[in-house]
Amino acid sequence: MIINNGILEYIEKFPFLVQLAYILSCVLFTAIIVLTIYLKIIRSSLRKKHEIRVKLKADYEALLIEYLYSGDETNEISEIQELIINKLKKVIHSKFNRKIIISIIYNLMNEVSGEMSDSIKTLYFKTGLYNYAQNRLKNKNWYIIAKGIGELTRFKIGEAHDDVAKFITHQRSEVRKETQLYLVNLFRFNGLTFLNDLKTPLSEWAQVQLLETLQKFDDQQICDIKPWLKSSNNTVVLFALKLAQIYNQFEVKDTLIELLSHNEKTIRLQVIEVLTHLYGIEAKEMLKANFNNLSLEEQISFFGLLEKLVVPSDEPFVEKHLFHKNFEIQLLALKILKSINLDKFMGLNKKVSKKSNPEIFKFVKNI
Amino acid sequence: MDTSTLQIILKILHYIFFAYAFFAITSYIVLSVISGKETLEYLKKNSFVNYKDILSSTMSPSITIIAPAYNESLNVVENVRSLLSNHYVNYKVIIINDGSTDDSLEKLIATYDLEAIDFIINNKIKTKPLRTGVFKSKNPAFEKLMVVDKENGGKADALNMGLNISKTKYVACIDVDCLLLEDALQKMIKPFLEVTNAKVIAAGGVIRIANSCIIRGGKLIDVNLPKNLLVQAQILEYLRAFLLGRMAWSRLNGLLVISGAFGILDKETAIAVGGYDTETVGEDMEIIVRMRRYMEEKGEKYRVSYIPDPLCWTEAPDTYKIFISQRNRWTRGTIETLNKHRKIGFNRNYGTFGLLSYPYWLIFERLAPLIEAVGLVYFIILVALREVKWEYALSFLILAYMFSVLFSIVAIYSEELTFHQYKKKGTGFKLILLSALEPFILHPFILYAAVKGNYDYYFNRKKKWGSMVRKGLTTT
Repeated sequence: MIINNGILEYIEKFPFLVQLAYILSCVLFTAIIVLTIYLKIIRSSLRKKHEIRVKLKADYEALLIEYLYSGDETNEISEIQELIINKLKKVIHSKFNRKIIISIIYNLMNEVSGEMSDSIKTLYFKTGLYNYAQNRLKNKNWYIIAKGIGELTRFKIGEAHDDVAKFITHQRSEVRKETQLYLVNLFRFNGLTFLNDLKTPLSEWAQVQLLETLQKFDDQQICDIKPWLKSSNNTVVLFALKLAQIYNQFEVKDTLIELLSHNEKTIRLQVIEVLTHLYGIEAKEMLKANFNNLSLEEQISFFGLLEKLVVPSDEPFVEKHLFHKNFEIQLLALKILKSINLDKFMGLNKKVSKKSNPEIFKFVKNI
Repeated sequence: MDTSTLQIILKILHYIFFAYAFFAITSYIVLSVISGKETLEYLKKNSFVNYKDILSSTMSPSITIIAPAYNESLNVVENVRSLLSNHYVNYKVIIINDGSTDDSLEKLIATYDLEAIDFIINNKIKTKPLRTGVFKSKNPAFEKLMVVDKENGGKADALNMGLNISKTKYVACIDVDCLLLEDALQKMIKPFLEVTNAKVIAAGGVIRIANSCIIRGGKLIDVNLPKNLLVQAQILEYLRAFLLGRMAWSRLNGLLVISGAFGILDKETAIAVGGYDTETVGEDMEIIVRMRRYMEEKGEKYRVSYIPDPLCWTEAPDTYKIFISQRNRWTRGTIETLNKHRKIGFNRNYGTFGLLSYPYWLIFERLAPLIEAVGLVYFIILVALREVKWEYALSFLILAYMFSVLFSIVAIYSEELTFHQYKKKGTGFKLILLSALEPFILHPFILYAAVKGNYDYYFNRKKKWGSMVRKGLTTT
């Protein structure tokens, strides 16, 4: 006490700024000590948690495998299974335990099918895990809702449709995306109906995930994509174009040709790519006639289409662009000419060295 | 000059130094708070993301990894193996052998069964010509790999060659000796695909130090804290810079630099601005500044994103000589870039970029070492003149030191609560101890290198990259 008073008296003699600096230093020093101790606690707790997690994982894994193999032929819950469910019920109120159990069940679900998969779903409901997921949907934090929807998707819980579907217009794109994935995972192409009224952009990230989900199903019977190709939401149009390409939608060719005059360049480019894939010979003449009005990217893309759909009558058009100032067009034009009229191509030798890049000619000659 | 005038001048100088320190410290605090918020948001956003679909999807965008190599014979085979072991489906690897004088190319040809192929390059960006040509593997297992052997032109020139050759929409520019984690590409590509209200022109990630870490088959097996104090101190410095600094700039959309060790660029924009500048030693910063400037001048909405996950691990200098040479180059790179694009600074036509990012870099990155050096000289003069008010000097010195230690501890804290890479017992204590030592074992050398960098920039223009001797990462 006497020492403390002595220090205080000593400091009080200093100017205000110095006093402030010392006070702040003391505060910072205290913070350093507290944080150091807390860091030690955190690190120890993380290590301990990890050890417990490993142990619990092994225990629950054994329990859940026992559950799976204790079923009887009647599809009813056996006594052993009932016991295991009760055991799990007692531990899932802890978030930590629940997380471990869910990850094990999910891994098991990916490895089994048929009755065993149904049995896991029964376990999911009977243990009350479903209720926890449902409660997550009522949470005010968007990321908890998204996690809840993700879990219901993983366990293919169709029963939650009404609770989940309402999030399709949620203000956070992450929640909307999880809802979209839920709908498509559970209801396949029928789940895509949300595209009819989608006002917000569908990110490329979401598009890839939706397409990947759709491709997992055996039933590849696709619904009518025409309304989406005509959507006022450009990202929906782009998504529909990808569907048209993957699922070879020859029946929408007319709509695709209409889209060649869409006001968005990225859509026009994608349309040319899809038409190339679908052998859209009808689009070729149209694009050829309009070639000079196309953007450079579209012109390059068109030459890509021409490379695939070229016929001898296209030769005069190709010849016109043999010395185009753009590298890609020149390369493609030379390649196309070589494929339809080798003699004429070989005869270009002298012209090329005068008019354009001889390297491109040499390269095309050698391939 | 009479005594009162001198007193006034001294007082003004004191206020300038005081104000500078005050604003610097305030900016660190503000940036670390913003970083914390951004990291939390990132973790929330990614807590339920299923990366598997993107990983295996052929619909996901293709990426070309461009890795320049110059005399990397010691590790090139293993490094390429690491690059080929990424889990992403749609990617290619282009190794640019930038006129190596060692047997790098021969080793690559022999290991990966390479053969020369006919290839035509669209020289959108001017580069040094090919030397022996372009190689692809005869073995289908290495079909993603392409090796380009060209005349030496430096790292920027090699990256430009990669930009000319790649056919994908996105390019990942990396140092060949970096270790990329298997999930690096799908995490880094996410911002490009996710953002719908702006064009993402570049994305960068955290760079971690791999000295003493165990690497097997091109994969990171075990993370260790190296024994070398200099490397340890750099680990702490990287944690501070990446976890408490760059995340904030990402939130403010004000990132000026994406580390050359690993970053993904939108190729169209990179080519539109003319690729990497071969005349600077800070090409990684310069291209980002130029791309941003291009987008601002075009009036198009854009973003430069940043990922806090530890995706790329690299070898840090373990001797003071190499360390000083590296920091000297970084300083010169910063000066060159800021000078070249000085039009942006304090120019409201460039929005946040011109009014916040550029001024911050100029005042708190570019000028900081100079102001610190001047401050030191000034202090020495005051000591000589017996003009030091020791009660002030001592109290502020203690305060600055306490702040520096606390700031480092906050960075360690941030690491523990997020990515928790240094799991081994005792490491936490070592890192805390390091926070107390770092101002003595690292900072003076950073200051020296920065001052030397300034000197070399103005008086030794011939100096270019300087040496960076690699020992190779610990493989088993």
